[in-house]
Order: sequence, then C-alpha cells, then structure tokens
Amino acid sequence: METLLEMRNIVKRFGNLVANDHIDFEVRRGEIHGLLGENGAGKTTLMNILYGIYQPDEGEIIFEGKKVRFKSPKDAISAGIGMVHQHFMLVPRMNVFQNIVLGYRTPHDPLINQKWVEERVEALSEKYGIDVALYETMMNLSVGEEQRVEILKALFRDVKLLILDEPTAVLTPQEVDSLFYALKSMTKSGLTIIFITHKLKEALKVTDRITVLRRGKKVGSVKTSETNERELTRMMVGRDIVLDITKPPREFGKEVLRVEDLWVKDERGNYAVKGVSFSIREGEILGIAGISGNGQRELEEAIAGLRKVEKGRIILDGQDITKKGVMERENIAYIPEDRIGVGLAPSLSVLENLMLKDFKKYRKGIFLDFGEMEKRGRELIEEFSVKTPSLHSSAGALSGGNIQRLILARELSRNPRLIIASQPTRGLDVAGIDYVRRRLIDAVMKGAAVLLISEDLDEIFQLADRIAVMYEGEIRGVVDRERANYEKVGYLMAGGLEVTA
Amino acid sequence: MRDIITPIASIAASLVVVGILLAAIGINPLEAYAVMFTSSFTSKFGLAELCVKTTPLIFTGLAVAIPLKAGLWNIGAEGQLYMGAFAASVVALYSNLPGYAMLPAMFLIAAIFGMGWAAIPAVLRAKFDLNEILSTLLLNYVAIYWVEYMVYGPMRGKEVYNFPYTDLFPDIATLPRFFGTRFHLGFFIAIIIAIAIYYLVNKTDFGFSLRVVGANPRAADYAGISRQKVIIYSMLLGGMFAGIAGMIEVSGIQLRLRPLISTGYGYAGIPVALLASGDPLLVIVSAALFGFLYVGGSVLQTTYSVPVAIVYVFQSLIVLFIIAGQSLRRRG
Repeated sequence: METLLEMRNIVKRFGNLVANDHIDFEVRRGEIHGLLGENGAGKTTLMNILYGIYQPDEGEIIFEGKKVRFKSPKDAISAGIGMVHQHFMLVPRMNVFQNIVLGYRTPHDPLINQKWVEERVEALSEKYGIDVALYETMMNLSVGEEQRVEILKALFRDVKLLILDEPTAVLTPQEVDSLFYALKSMTKSGLTIIFITHKLKEALKVTDRITVLRRGKKVGSVKTSETNERELTRMMVGRDIVLDITKPPREFGKEVLRVEDLWVKDERGNYAVKGVSFSIREGEILGIAGISGNGQRELEEAIAGLRKVEKGRIILDGQDITKKGVMERENIAYIPEDRIGVGLAPSLSVLENLMLKDFKKYRKGIFLDFGEMEKRGRELIEEFSVKTPSLHSSAGALSGGNIQRLILARELSRNPRLIIASQPTRGLDVAGIDYVRRRLIDAVMKGAAVLLISEDLDEIFQLADRIAVMYEGEIRGVVDRERANYEKVGYLMAGGLEVTA
Repeated sequence: MRDIITPIASIAASLVVVGILLAAIGINPLEAYAVMFTSSFTSKFGLAELCVKTTPLIFTGLAVAIPLKAGLWNIGAEGQLYMGAFAASVVALYSNLPGYAMLPAMFLIAAIFGMGWAAIPAVLRAKFDLNEILSTLLLNYVAIYWVEYMVYGPMRGKEVYNFPYTDLFPDIATLPRFFGTRFHLGFFIAIIIAIAIYYLVNKTDFGFSLRVVGANPRAADYAGISRQKVIIYSMLLGGMFAGIAGMIEVSGIQLRLRPLISTGYGYAGIPVALLASGDPLLVIVSAALFGFLYVGGSVLQTTYSVPVAIVYVFQSLIVLFIIAGQSLRRRG
C-alpha cells in the first residue's frame, strides 16, 4: 500500500513541556491506523498539528507526496483531512442538515441547494451505513448520533483522511460496534482513518497498524495482526525507571482514612465513582493507578470536600466527614492535578498563595498580620526551596516545578493526617519529580497517610505500599506492592477484566 | 510597573482620538485641552466644581471596583445611586427628624437602599449563577423610571410650578458647603471611605477572600473560601456606596429629587474602576480625572459649543483601550 501521510521529526513544545519529541509517523492509504498511548502521551497534540490547529516547532508533513503546511483547519480540510474531536463541534440549536452544511459552499452558493445536499447525504449514508435524521435538532440526538453527524460532516467534505480522537469514549458498547462496522466499510471504499485511543482492546479490534506514543516520544509502529495486548501494554506504559528512591521500611499505624461504598457524580450528573471502598493507615501510601477520566478526579474531590457525595461514607480518624466542608477538613492536604487552575491563584503573590488556606489564622483585631505572614512565608519558601524573585511576585510567573513546590509548601506544612496527591509529578523535570517523591515519603515517615493518584505506573510502583486500579468508576482489586505485577496492572488500567488476587 | 502602562496609554490614546474628532469639527485640540485645563485648575470655582464632580465618581468607582476585585461586574451603580437618592429624599422631605439626626439617617437609608438594590443581582448570581452584568444593567432602568414616576406623581412638590421636582430639602437635610462654592462635605466623606476600603481590601481577611475569588474562583473553592458569601458581600458593599453617592448628590448638589439627578455617574464608575484596576486609592485619582473631564467638557460646551457628549466619547474610548490593552497583555 502506498504512503498517504508522513509526519517527519515533529517537535512541539508548550513552555517547558515537550508534548511531541521528534516524532515520525506514517500512514498508508486505505488503512485504519491506531494511535495508542496514555493520556498526555502526545497523541492529540500530534493530530492537532496535522489538522492545522497547532504549528509544529520542528519537522515537516508530507501528504499525498507533497510537502504541506496547514495554517488552520481550513487548509487541512481543503487538502482532504477531516477530524472528529473528542468534544464535538456542533451547534446544538441547529438541525443535522444545517450542521452538515455549515461553512460549506454548495452549488449555487450563496443559496443552499437543499436537494443536492439531501441526495449527497443519502448516498453517503447508504454507502457507509450511517443513518441520520436530517431534520432533527441536534439537541434531541444521543451522543452516538451526534458522532455520526460529525463523521458525516467530514465525509460530506470529501475527506481522504479522517482522524477520530477517542471516538469510543462516549459510546455504549452497541454504538461502538456499529461505529467499527462503519469505519471498516469506509476503508473499503478507499478512505484512510487515524484512530486515537488509549484502549488496547479497541485498537486491536479495529486497526490495521498501530503506532504507540509514550511521554511525547514514539515507541514504535506494529502491525496489528502481529502483536498482542501484552506487547502493547509494555510499549504503552514503558518500564524506564527514571529515579531511584528507597522507601525506608515502616510500621503502619492505625487507620487514617476509610472510604465506604462511595458514589459520586460528575458535572454532567452521571455517576463517575461507583461504590468505591478502601482504607489507608498511618505511614502508608495507597497508589491508585488508572487512566485519567475513570473517576479519579471525582473521587479525590469528594474526599477533599469539593464535591458532593451521593452515597457512602468518608471517615477520617474515626470521624464521619462525609458532609463536612473544606474548612472543616483541615487535616487533609490536597495536591490537585490541575495545579494552576485549582491549586493556585496565579495573579496573586507567592505569599498570598502560601497563605491561601491559613490567612484567617493571622487575624489580629480586624486586620491580618502581614508581618507575621511574611515571616512564615519566608520560612516556607526556604524550607521547600521555592525559587522566586520575592514573596510578592505573582505566583503564576513561577516555573512548573516551583509552582508544585509552592503547593507542597502550603499543603504539607499544615501537618496533615491525609495527603491526596493527584498526578503530583506530571510535567515536572527529573529534579522536580525527585523532590516531590521524597517529600511524600518524608510525610509518611512522619505518620501521614497518602492517597497517590497517578497515571504513571513507575511512580505508583516506586511509591505505593498498596496498589489499586481504577477503571470506569470502580476499583479493580487492591494488591500489595510486593505481589503486584507491572504488566497486569497496566492491563487492568487499559480495561482488562481479570481481577488480581 | 506594567500595571501603570495600560491606563496611561489608554488615556493618551483617548486624548489623541478625541483630539482628532475635535480637529474634524474645526477646533484646535491643543487649544481646547488647554482651555479645559485652565478653567478647572486656575480658579476657586473651577477647583470646587472639580471636587463636586469627583465626589460621586469616587463612590460609583468604588461601587464597581469592589465587586470587580471579586471578578464581578456591577453595571448597576447608576440604578443603585437612584435608589439611594430616592430613599434619602423620602427621609429628607417627610421624616421630620431633628437636625442632628437628619443627615445620618439619610446617609444610612441611602446606604441600605443601594445595598438592597444590589442584593437582587447578588443573590441571583450567588444562588442561581445568573449573569450579574445583565441583571444589574436592567435594574438600572427600573430604578431610574421609579424615580421619574415618583417625581412626576406622588413626590411632586407643591412649589415647583408643575415641574417634575420635589420641593427643596429643608436646610438640615443639606450637606454643609464651603468657600462660597458648591464644594461640600461629601468630598471628604468620599476620600475617607476610599481609604477605609483600601484597608478593607488589602489588610483584612474579607479582602483576602475577595481577592482569591477574583483571581481564581476554583482556587477559592479549593481553599474553602465561600464564594457565595464573597459574591453577595462584595455586591452589597458596591451597592451601598452607589446608594451613598445618590444621597450625596441630592443633599449636596441638587437639594431636591428630580429626574436625571445623575449624568451617568454610575456608568462612569466603570471606567473609573477599570482605570484604577480596582485599587480603592487609585479610584480617587481616576475619579478626579473623570471629574476633570466633566468640568472641562462643560467648558468646551460653553466656549466652543461642542456638545458635552464628547465627555462620554472620551469615557467609552478609555474603557475600550483598557480592555484592548489587557487582552493584548494577556497574549503578549
């Protein structure tokens, strides 16, 4: 088969983060090519570059034998590339017909040639087995139907290459089957498809070849017929232990946190945490492994007091805190995944951010004692080596590593009983990663309990005393670190069903 | 230092654009600006008028600035001002309070009515997440027409020859004036309140919470700061000062209630607060600048017959340039 697309040596940086690190990517005409990797591996970034949303910092793109540069999605579309995003780009108040035609020039432009559109849509529907009700308002459609509209919209524009970003994330199993059927029939008539996913099974089921990315780098490309879940897991999660940190042996003390049959909803009102139970003791680190979006955020927010618990109980040091507010959970430290968006007020000063949770303690009469706050702030940036020009410079100007140190300084200095650390080292450089991990170990040595939520299996294996895998809102078995097996945990993370002993 | 560049550049750019407009209608802009300047700063009456115009602008500037610190847009200072003026007028005309209690009572009732008027959008925003820009803006019309109705109807005075005015306030309900000009006590009250608010915002735990909510609402939730409380309190404070502005206008300048007691002071509070980037002490400075524009604008009208609307052009331009400058900075 001839090569349709080649991306050579693509580099894309966001500040200090290298999202795509010299990636070579090649797609052949008429295949379904799986792009596999964990969240944050760089899959979507790479495809956004191809689709003209981002400009690469280095590298080139060759499409149909010609070197191309897409300055915007418009260029990509006119070259014959379509993309269906994870979050659909449709106008809810318009009907299907209007959404399909939106931005497209039918014959007799500026008038819309309704008959021509109808015939064309009908032909496409028939050819690929995609049914849509052309005059139904988008708002009344199910998610699966919306996706079909997105696909049809792309086909309507005569694409040669169709990019699907995590298309199954929102679908029911039946919808997944019919999507796969449609994809197969599209390739039969010459269309090429790139299928972005982090689910192994789906990649194995529907693709012809698979390229695996990990931490912004390409691990390799394989033929689907010549690989298996085990090999793909290894490629996806990798095994390169960056750092060597020794955990001193400890005695675990009494139970600090117990979570009993916890049910929590996400923003859309669906259950994201479905009956989760576990406990953590003094001096213990419980690692929750899993791909982001499987209910981890809702779980940690519920424990931190930021999200309502629908059912179940949270018990901290023997006290039921299920209904308590954040202020009443001051024994819980929370290092959120979204450091800048949640853990920081970026336009405020370093000092104000250090005092975000404790400022009320510095009240003296009606005023706050800023002298005392500054004294404490200076101690904290010293102790946690936060590099900042001054206590009064804005916190948002700090580097990623220093922002995390600032958050650690604030959270850990309050002598918490429980520390929730969510993706605590994501995006940090080696020194930063090392620092954060050592701090967490220090904290458990002093008797705190740690709930470590991470997609990084190396991190889980390095730090955790027990490991739980979270998948689709449930916890799939809790295992002691010594008895846990790297491949098996990775397999469970990717949706494998087997329960480890 | 970059914080200062945007407002100054915005003023300069607005001066240039207004200058072009003046030139287009055949007026030498430099000469016109010179006339504006000398008439405001070189005579006792000019300075007094400057302070007279600056006073309500300090209050309405604060009325916008405090919610702005919490990330909220109070577009309703105008309406809150009218409600304050209305309430103060009712007390002044119908209460028969003794002299020592009259002004304090007017002050208090105006504050309460301004607060009450701001409480509606505040609660709607805090409880139901209803956009406060729309609700505050629309309530302005209700308040303005309410005052109009009152002075055309129930509150119309007996000695006003059928004009839509109330009777003049009794002397005990008017603010003391000084130097034989219209310069009145309200100016000092405004300055004192602005300084107090500076301490409130920068030195108290409420101010701390306010700034966290404004900087990142999600971080406020995360730190356990009650966002609803901050939203409501900051809007109430804002409404209170707009209400006080209304009382000060009727009892210091107009000495009666009538339609159009405010020539857009409430709306002018928006550029005043923006130009000061919400800092209560800087609000005094930017209010003085806008006060100067009002005084200078009416001088332009008498000297060159330029409609006073040129002042509103200037105000709007400053808002535009500040917003443009901020978005440029965010990108740069």
